[in-house]
Amino acid sequence: MKSTLNHIIIALVALAASYSPFASADDLVVTIVEPYIDFRTGPASEYPIFHVAEQGEKITVVKKKTGWYKAISIDGKEGWVSAEQLGKTLKPNGEVLYVPTGTFEDYGNRNFELSVFGGVLENVTSMTVATSWNWTGNLVAEATYTQALGDFSENKLWSVRLQHHTFPEWKLSPYLTIGAGQISTRPRSNLVQSGDEERKSDLYEVGGGLRYYIARNVTVKLEYRRIAALTDRDDQERLEEFRLGFAVFF
Amino acid sequence: MKLRKIAPQVIDKLNKFTVSFAALLLLCAGLSQAHAAQPAIASIQDDNAQERPPALIDPNVERREIDESDIDTENFELGVFGGFMTIEDFESDAVVGATLAYHINEHFFLEAAYAETTAGQTSFEKLSGGAPFLTEEERDYRYYNLSLGFNINGETFLTDNLVFNSDFYLLMGAGSTEFGGDERFTVSVGAGYRLLLTDFWALRVDVKDHIFNSDIIGVEKDVHNLAFTLSTTFFF
Repeated sequence: MKSTLNHIIIALVALAASYSPFASADDLVVTIVEPYIDFRTGPASEYPIFHVAEQGEKITVVKKKTGWYKAISIDGKEGWVSAEQLGKTLKPNGEVLYVPTGTFEDYGNRNFELSVFGGVLENVTSMTVATSWNWTGNLVAEATYTQALGDFSENKLWSVRLQHHTFPEWKLSPYLTIGAGQISTRPRSNLVQSGDEERKSDLYEVGGGLRYYIARNVTVKLEYRRIAALTDRDDQERLEEFRLGFAVFF
Repeated sequence: MKLRKIAPQVIDKLNKFTVSFAALLLLCAGLSQAHAAQPAIASIQDDNAQERPPALIDPNVERREIDESDIDTENFELGVFGGFMTIEDFESDAVVGATLAYHINEHFFLEAAYAETTAGQTSFEKLSGGAPFLTEEERDYRYYNLSLGFNINGETFLTDNLVFNSDFYLLMGAGSTEFGGDERFTVSVGAGYRLLLTDFWALRVDVKDHIFNSDIIGVEKDVHNLAFTLSTTFFF
């Protein structure tokens, strides 16, 4: 009874914890061609090397955590191998195993990117998260969410944008953006007696940015955008935002 | 050596699970394959089709080429936490929340957190017996933030043979706090300790300060709201 319960718990935990349980059905077995491969006790370069697998030995790769791979040697030792060392092993068909290390070339082949920005929207500190999808290399589709909580009002903006990277092959690459979305503004409660007076309006934005590839899977971005909020009053509201942030890609 | 001491029981259990799970998957895959293959078999072997039941598992499954991209990654960390939070001027209360982190590399991670607690009364409200500063609804304290974490990797030696990977980390971020009828831009700084019981299951202790500019009690000032929390997280 207890062991059934244990199994259920383990099954639930494993289900919850494994992103793709199908991957564990088959294992990746690679052959070492370099003189040796280091096995570490944890997934970081600071962890000590406790075992060395030698040339010609086969190791089974089980899982991956950031740039580290958990491997099992033929004598059952389990340890963490770096992406750099694993990238010099051979697959069963004799080909060199391709291991992405987040190089600039990998950046060109990315699918998704997650960005975080801090900036200034009309003198108010703003925070932005964005997720983008690399459509053609030149064209990137992006969804962004920004909050700017000021002394007088709380502003929340979302927009769907299209970026155009004219020279995506440059490490420092400029791009243009165009998008549409919504802005909601709520005055501070101590300024308005009647309470919530939230206003929602559509917005259009144009802007540009600079992207710089730093290292591994990280890029830095500097962006500027002009926003036109179509308010129900007579005049449009124009806003400006500068922001600086970084992005990781998958 | 250290890994070897902990691993066998866990592996044994996981193996049992993997085998049963794989069998289940195989059965499911077999069923769906048999289902899909049925019309083809029927058209080729018109006469025999009715007499022979369709094969549950196709013995001629081609071996798939396994590549790096098929490996299970564990870069996301999902967790729930509970603890207590002291809200400046408004007593302290229990706090519960959830976190989702993405580990960029062995040192840096991005973490989003959301939590809720309830503010108590200020000393003034209690002693004077006068009108309260806030309504009951306005005492609900909710916050979220996005932080960049820096891991200092290490190991924790509980006994000579019981060793766990662990790390001490620093967190710095920004977000929003909804309290007293307003949302305020909030800066958060903190530190924590993560004990990895297995590769994918960890226990964490966090101390985080949430700082924002407030004028709820009349004077405008930066308030510090400290949260002491214990959490359990899973990597996937």
